Amino acid sequence: MKKHTTDMWKIIHIPDKLPIPPNQQPTVNVLASVIDPKHANTLIRRLNQIAPLKNVCHVKRIRKKHLEGGKTQLSVILCLASEDNSLLNSLPQDVQELSDSYQLSPFVTKVCKYAATSKEEWEEQCKLWPTSYHPPTYNIDGITGFSEEDSLSILSFMKVAIELAKSGDGLIVNAAVIVDPSVQQIITNGCDQIFSWHAPMNKTCIRNDCIEQSTNLDSHQSNGVASTVTEVLPNASPSEPESLSCAVSCLNPWKWSEQQSDTANSYYCHPLRHAAIVAIESSADRDRRLFPDLGDAEEKSFETSQSSHVVAMVKRQKTSVANVEKKEADPPNMPSNSVPERPYLCTGCDIYLVWEPCIMCAMALVHQRIRRIFYAFPNPNNGALGSLHRLQGEKSLNHHYAVFRICVPEEALDIAGNRKSC
Amino acid sequence: MDSHVEEGCSSETLTFMELAIEQAKDALNSLEVPVGCVIAEDGKVIASGRNRTTETRNGGVIPKKKKKRVDVIWTRIGDCISIKALKTSNLPSLYSWTLIVVGTSLNFLWQATRHAEMEAIDALLEQWQKSGLSVSEVAEKFSACSLYVTCEPCIMCAAALSILGIKEVYYGCANDKFGGCGSILSLHSSSSKLPKSGNIAQRKDFKCTGGIMALEAVSLLRRFYEQGNPNGRGMCWFISITSTLYEDLEAKLSG
Repeated sequence: MKKHTTDMWKIIHIPDKLPIPPNQQPTVNVLASVIDPKHANTLIRRLNQIAPLKNVCHVKRIRKKHLEGGKTQLSVILCLASEDNSLLNSLPQDVQELSDSYQLSPFVTKVCKYAATSKEEWEEQCKLWPTSYHPPTYNIDGITGFSEEDSLSILSFMKVAIELAKSGDGLIVNAAVIVDPSVQQIITNGCDQIFSWHAPMNKTCIRNDCIEQSTNLDSHQSNGVASTVTEVLPNASPSEPESLSCAVSCLNPWKWSEQQSDTANSYYCHPLRHAAIVAIESSADRDRRLFPDLGDAEEKSFETSQSSHVVAMVKRQKTSVANVEKKEADPPNMPSNSVPERPYLCTGCDIYLVWEPCIMCAMALVHQRIRRIFYAFPNPNNGALGSLHRLQGEKSLNHHYAVFRICVPEEALDIAGNRKSC
Repeated sequence: MDSHVEEGCSSETLTFMELAIEQAKDALNSLEVPVGCVIAEDGKVIASGRNRTTETRNGGVIPKKKKKRVDVIWTRIGDCISIKALKTSNLPSLYSWTLIVVGTSLNFLWQATRHAEMEAIDALLEQWQKSGLSVSEVAEKFSACSLYVTCEPCIMCAAALSILGIKEVYYGCANDKFGGCGSILSLHSSSSKLPKSGNIAQRKDFKCTGGIMALEAVSLLRRFYEQGNPNGRGMCWFISITSTLYEDLEAKLSG
């Protein structure tokens, strides 16, 4: 059925800091020389003693260059060059002696000043002079790459989100799917509801809609399969007239006020009901439904057994926090058949969004303690996770999620061309 | 830049901020982070809101139980009153139990995004929708509204206020961690980060004035955090009370 295969979909981590364009990394000058390969070991040992590469440990001492005719040429860094231009070519005395005794001819060259933070940077660095690269090993799963299995499930959840985005009445909107990755289950979902075209007038009904949707989803999940959700939403023919397909609220949050007012009185309008916000609300609703008696928590807490349950819950939460800050094991795997523990907000959960969220949604996801965000399409004018802002790198915030983009072919939305007109 | 002087404030501004403080106090009484706000139009308050992250959305306050021991939920370390409440409740006396006061509201913190501003905005939209306003009328209304909030709107709320196109915002204390009106980001003024533009709708700026009755706002927050934020992660308390300890406490209380 799908014309796009998942093989084409790639998951990229969107880092906390704006990466420097790989070819514009700061450099420092060093003095190097071509050497005779048979002296390599001796020279390197000696140089490491008399002129260690302080502050540029990532730079390799030796460079091997392949020349024409299958020959190789070895060069070695003698020392860092003086920052004083007039002394650029002068070597410290012991290095000079070494150089003289091996008849080296020093030349000035550039190496990258800082260790690479990504593979792309590293590849670029090596064009100047080889460096070593250690991929980040910290915190949240996936930053260092996904296993085949994880990738597949990530892509399948994104597909659910994309189907949702297409499921409106010919209108492509943003869609959000919140997933508990520890049990591979969809917790809830939401679509943009700024204008719910055929939505009932009052909010209660809208909210009931949400609840029904997620209830249906729950029943899907009980089979352990996060299958498609299209059937729980009004089925619709995607790619209707082009003018209708630009309703993604995060792409231009200010657009609502320009809405034609001809039908204005007949529909529900809430300019802030972006998909992520709707999904957050829906997940909170779900928690309230699943844990309706939490108002009676004291009954439980009087019993030792129950209290350990609460303790476990708190511990779990702490573990998740620790996961973010240090490297730690996965959150405890919960038995899927038992009643799930009451989650603390969306701690430990992932959200899949078809479009990169705007700053309002991105901050709401911080407040709700989402662990990872996956989005498919960037939001060049208003995106808060790398495009216009980079909220994941805002150090003052009390929570940080990891952000990934899943490169999805535009055909996945059947709106190639339309998006550009937005 | 925002002015941080109170002298220059009109009495109207102060009056509205006082009402916002009242909302914040209401939040404090419900063990919510004490932030409150009012929205005014033409010199009249048309909506108000306060933090409501732990309560159910449809205004239903988590019911205070008839049974007395529910008071325990709000127990804090050293809070003798609730220990008394415990005493009067029908505890299974032979039962060895553990009372856990875990930022009780850990149980209740449902939606951390229900900030005062969001509450007020939702109330307003509901109200306008009931009176059948069209989208353009709603937009027009917002552009005539002023928000008075005890603490600088967070990044989320500041973005929301800009999306709605509110006219102006007056706030009490700054929000060093999350502030979206100058502290962390400046979402009220787009000058710094203009989009490449095109035929997209213009983003909307709003006038923002901080430091109105900041001391009052801060003192409420301080009270909340000093008594311990029941929602905060770092503030989970465990009081293990065995029945013996309970006897001790009882003795102490009566003695």
